[in-house]
Amino acid sequence: MEAMNLIAQARARGWGLLLVPLALQYALLTTQRETGVGEVVAAVAIVVFAPRVATKAVPFALVILGLWGIILVRDLERGSVPPTLYGIVLAGPYVWGNRLVLPEAMLFLAAGAWLFMRVGAPGSGLVRAVARRIAGAVARRPSRWALVLLPVLALALEVLGQRDWLGQQWWTTEWTLVSGAVLAVGAVFLIRWAPSVAAIAAATGLQILGLFGIILAAIWTPAMPDQYYGVVALNPQFDTRAGAVAQGLVLLAAGAYLMPRVIRQHLAGAPDRNLAALTERVQTLTQTRTDAVGAAAAELRRIERDLHDGAQARLVALGMSLRAAERMFASNPEAALALVTEARETSSRALTDLRDLVRGIYPPVLADRGLADAVRALVLDTPLPIELDIDLPGPTDAGGQASTIEMPVGAAVYFAVAEALANAVRHSGARTVRIHLSHAAGTLRAQVTDDGAGGADPAQGTGLAGVERRLATFDGILAVSSPPGGPTIIAIEVPCALSSAKTSSC
Amino acid sequence: MRVVIGEDLFLLREGLVKLLSAHGFDIVAAVGTAPDLLAALVGERPDVGIVDVRLPPTHTDDGLRAALRARAQVPGLPVLVLSQYVEQLYARELLADQAGGVGYLLKDRVFNDDQFTGAIRAVAAGGTVLDPEVVRKLLGRRSRTEPLTRLTPREHEVLALMAEGRSNAAIAQRLFITEKAVSKHAAGIFAKLDLAPSDDDNRRVLAVLAYLES
Repeated sequence: MEAMNLIAQARARGWGLLLVPLALQYALLTTQRETGVGEVVAAVAIVVFAPRVATKAVPFALVILGLWGIILVRDLERGSVPPTLYGIVLAGPYVWGNRLVLPEAMLFLAAGAWLFMRVGAPGSGLVRAVARRIAGAVARRPSRWALVLLPVLALALEVLGQRDWLGQQWWTTEWTLVSGAVLAVGAVFLIRWAPSVAAIAAATGLQILGLFGIILAAIWTPAMPDQYYGVVALNPQFDTRAGAVAQGLVLLAAGAYLMPRVIRQHLAGAPDRNLAALTERVQTLTQTRTDAVGAAAAELRRIERDLHDGAQARLVALGMSLRAAERMFASNPEAALALVTEARETSSRALTDLRDLVRGIYPPVLADRGLADAVRALVLDTPLPIELDIDLPGPTDAGGQASTIEMPVGAAVYFAVAEALANAVRHSGARTVRIHLSHAAGTLRAQVTDDGAGGADPAQGTGLAGVERRLATFDGILAVSSPPGGPTIIAIEVPCALSSAKTSSC
Repeated sequence: MRVVIGEDLFLLREGLVKLLSAHGFDIVAAVGTAPDLLAALVGERPDVGIVDVRLPPTHTDDGLRAALRARAQVPGLPVLVLSQYVEQLYARELLADQAGGVGYLLKDRVFNDDQFTGAIRAVAAGGTVLDPEVVRKLLGRRSRTEPLTRLTPREHEVLALMAEGRSNAAIAQRLFITEKAVSKHAAGIFAKLDLAPSDDDNRRVLAVLAYLES
């Protein structure tokens, strides 16, 4: 029972438990003592009494430990490090252990970054954004071979760094870190923008490095300074020429395997980022086209039904009234007159029906005057004080043919504004509304702000969702900000909506 | 009374010509495009022009623009604008020059020939006739400007009917009050809107304009 309880307690504390071994590690690193009882007791106390703090502290502790490892590598280069336990590695005057410190430090850094996101430590949003960026770049790039360039560069750096260049010994930690960072950034760019070229460079590098290993084994003598070559080190204590040859052959083989594949890929026109972007674009277009076709079909059905039940039915009634009047003309002129009057009223109602229908299809004032005046007319018909701020190019009065908003885009934005305005009037209890309409830098923007109760949810009700779909057909977007208590802001953006821009590349 | 008609649909144009001829109007020109209309309005100087908002060449608001341009050249030239739909925006533009002699009606109003010919005569006499639809929209709005909030509900009703172009007698009949009471309400409206005593027609136009601008 007790044991079960303990396990449950431990599970509840999750990643926070790692704080205890980490505290022990820090005690060993900082004081070189055999034990770290004080630190461990403190860590246990935090885990038990403030589990949430412990959980958030662990990623930070891991990252610092990773950075510590990098500094430790530098100190090892300079010698004079007493035997130190770093993670599972005993560093100090031991060549093999020292070579594992850097990978282990990287591991700690990576684990720290991952835990950052996992436990949602402060600053995890940024880390997550960066990680998503990188993951996205990797996922979008079809040629995974290009990634081989990174380890190839690391090995090349190690091999090249040991030589004397221009009479300088470059193999220092600072130089490695700086040049490594510069090369890594360059390589990432190459992988991102020209993956097939990066893949060819990687294959070439593999072959050169493989050859180097075999040559190194051939010319090596114990009189030479220590040689490092990937997982192999050559020095008077360890004669690992066979290992160097083996590694060289593996690299040569890998390069030979890759070379024809990456060249073929490059010649095939390289599945590169353009293709990925195009694929994404096609997906978007397919989706919005489906939506647009569906919306148009639904709209046609609605119009058909409105005509059928409205104007059409009234015209039938009109014909029947007139026919009846026709028959009664001689026998009962008074009744005939009443029927004709009724027919006239019916025709009036049919006209009203048609007028309402037309307004819903394409508001006449929008057809006559364009978006700015259509929104002005909308504002005049709205029973709320509205502050209107319109900054659109082109004349809106006589001869407004210059650079007007394209008709379908104008209609989509008009109905979006109308819907936003209707929502403000119907639901929000707003006392004033502000509408801002502008066109700048190839983007048409509309913003409707009301001082109402807020809490509008675009997911509820089909009005704004329909507007959003309609805008998406033109790559337009709709954003709603409506915290409880208001204000509600509905923002609309549509790119490149001027008809004069048609001739340009948009 | 000399009338110019601008209407592009042949059936409607002929229908209007027949209807108005039957009521004793003298149709001096019946045209189908905005440029022809402008030429006829300026050249013939009719007692009233009857204008369809939507006309060739662009089939947008060419008719309205031709009417506005004609009034710019011939101040106060009476025009009655007909449309399949009414917009407060257009009503404002028509009334903006404060010269009166403006009508703005839905095309359906033609069905009621007594009311329609009455509207033509009111416009020719310098009055203002707005479609009940426009007035209904005005009533649906909360007025924002200070002077109009001072009107009593009864004065609002009178002003609305005034905007529709009704005479004091018609308003009295409609509201079941005496004509004298209507005059009193009208005087109250003019005073509250700060309209200095001038001829009654002009003050009615200005009152309607204030109403539109509210």
